[in-house]
Amino acid sequence: MVDFFHAHQAQHYLVLAALLFALGAAGVVLRRNAIIVLMSIELMLNAVNLTFLAFARFPLVANSPMQGGFSQGHAAVFFVIATAAAEAAVGLAIIIAVFRSRTSVNVDEFDSLKL
Amino acid sequence: MNFNPGDLYGVLPALLLAAGALVLLTSEVFLRPVEPDRRYQAWVAAAFAFAGLWASLAQLGDPAQPLFAGAAVSDGFAHIVAAVVCAALFLSCIVAFSYLESLRATRGEFYALALFSASGMCLLAQATDLVVIFISLEVMSLAVYALCAYLRRGKRPAEAAFKYFILGSFASAIFLYGAAFAFGASGSTRLADLAATVRSGSATTLVYASAALLAAGFAFKVAAVPFHMWVPDVYDGAPAPVTGFMAAGVKAAAFATLVRILVSGYGEGGRWRGLIVALAYLTMLVGNLLAVPQRSVKRMLAYSSIAHAGYLLVAVAAMGTSAPRADAAGALLFYLASYGATVIGAFAVVAIIERKLALSGLGDDLSSWAGLSEKHPALAAAMSLFMISLAGVPPTAGFMAKLTVFRSAIEADLVPLAIFGVITSVAGLYYYLRVVVYVYMVPEAKADAVQGGRLLSAGLAIAGCALIVLWMGVLPGSFAALAQSGAAVFGR
Amino acid sequence: MRALDYLSPYLPVLILLLFAGVLCALIGAAATFLGPKRITAIKETAFECGSPSIGDSHSRHSVKFYLVALLFVVFDVESVFIYPWGSLLRDFQAEGLGWFAYVEMLSFMATLALGLVYVWRKGALEWNP
Repeated sequence: MVDFFHAHQAQHYLVLAALLFALGAAGVVLRRNAIIVLMSIELMLNAVNLTFLAFARFPLVANSPMQGGFSQGHAAVFFVIATAAAEAAVGLAIIIAVFRSRTSVNVDEFDSLKL
Repeated sequence: MNFNPGDLYGVLPALLLAAGALVLLTSEVFLRPVEPDRRYQAWVAAAFAFAGLWASLAQLGDPAQPLFAGAAVSDGFAHIVAAVVCAALFLSCIVAFSYLESLRATRGEFYALALFSASGMCLLAQATDLVVIFISLEVMSLAVYALCAYLRRGKRPAEAAFKYFILGSFASAIFLYGAAFAFGASGSTRLADLAATVRSGSATTLVYASAALLAAGFAFKVAAVPFHMWVPDVYDGAPAPVTGFMAAGVKAAAFATLVRILVSGYGEGGRWRGLIVALAYLTMLVGNLLAVPQRSVKRMLAYSSIAHAGYLLVAVAAMGTSAPRADAAGALLFYLASYGATVIGAFAVVAIIERKLALSGLGDDLSSWAGLSEKHPALAAAMSLFMISLAGVPPTAGFMAKLTVFRSAIEADLVPLAIFGVITSVAGLYYYLRVVVYVYMVPEAKADAVQGGRLLSAGLAIAGCALIVLWMGVLPGSFAALAQSGAAVFGR
Repeated sequence: MRALDYLSPYLPVLILLLFAGVLCALIGAAATFLGPKRITAIKETAFECGSPSIGDSHSRHSVKFYLVALLFVVFDVESVFIYPWGSLLRDFQAEGLGWFAYVEMLSFMATLALGLVYVWRKGALEWNP
């Protein structure tokens, strides 16, 4: 049974999260600076976090079949944050390695592997 | 609380590999002042990989059971994938040893990263919870990104790693968005609860969106066609032993998870079949077509890897029908094992040639393979064997694998897909056999021998791969039985 | 029309934003057109706490800053797992799994500590270039 009041409330957060996710995806595709591309990926992950939290706070289904219930959405966010931090560390290390070999972080100049 | 400490035994292979990685990292910082020679690391890593292989094979007979309150599962399918991953890691460590030694590039962390990524792959095959899948995926991917950038020679490795990192993280984010939608639709991140929601018929837009996003995320990882752009650059730029490990290990783990998500999470209706069939058509066509003009053997093998992802997708599509799923799952496992053995062997030979090129400063081109049969007849024979196995010619593993996959597709009423697969594999003969022609029939322009010494360990690994390829091609019975026993969990 | 319903509470905010923007533009324009402009050398100098700027504002920072910041973030974020563990420890105890949960967290912390030791021995915390 869907709780329409809650569903209505979740909608705001879901729309915001979808916009943030789209913004991040556009950033990955369009931006030239490697650091900004990395930040766009983090933005996408944070949009997902917001989605998880919106569903955990304003559930669309009556009850969660999971042990711990809807708070599992909060737990998921913890894991995503921790993983995102590790991902940023590896990404930055790779960007530094690229920078050392060509003193630029402009994605357009990464062309040594084109067909 | 449905939690049992004994469940840790179920993830023993992953635990062993992670412990091995920690041992290597600790020894790297504490042993180096005492013992500057790091060659022992390869053998420690190989020993842990062998232990993981033994553990996954020892658990093969155990009955399937859920672990950690349903977050993971211990079943034959996962154990066979773990065994393939551990065997790939074992062979890759041996290949990497001679490769890194001869380039004088043995620094720390290489083997530790390889062990970490393998432990992520083993967990990925067992995970039945979307958050656990995400974490295992990142453990695997982050280590592989770093491995791609391992050689600090020129611009190519770092750029390849960057491309892989950006597109891989993008794919992970898309996957995670799908996981969030699945959580919203079912109130749970467990695949079993998701399946219950799908079964109850209250499938909403949210469920379809989550299925599309999860499948798109994994289509990146398995290199299916609209999402394949990273593959040639990454396979080309990464060190050859790493490429071999990626092609075998990442593919096995990602396909296992794709099957797990689709069949255990969205399975009953099989509505996802159309999506996978479309991906399979595209992937087989584009992979084989784009492999034809490649002059670089590494790039050719990259497009060939895309094409093989297409054949594997045929097996996945066959699991979405009313036909017995176990046959298709067994075909998938057999294909993953045979492709793994073949591709690791092929990239081991490429590693030897690439090392020669790196030392002489030449580019990777078919012409550098000319005349290989005169100086190194054994290497030439092994490379030819791997090429005809990739092409799917009997009596090799590749032939038996394609046969079982196409047979399962026909049993599942996907006859046009199977016919298309056969046609594209025949077309693929051209670019595989071109390598054999260069190796045997084109005379070499100028004589420069492959540097000797330290070839022994790579040679052993190549011989091992060749043996497995021939064994699976001539006497596939025991391997097929093993694959079928692992696939039995998808029965009915 | 449903989409408009969701967004309608934001209408006052939109009006406020428009009003603020128009007002700012009007005041700025009025000051530019009506105010007297007498620029002298002494007016152009830095005032009170300001000091003359040195070099380009787009100077490069040492990569060490990023390295230390990221190491901090990674270790900091891992500690987030201790809070849910702490709040659930009693439930585990009630199940008779108290010691198991304790050992689990100890092994987690030990792995983190191993990471810190690794970073330390690798010299990533040394500030000298």
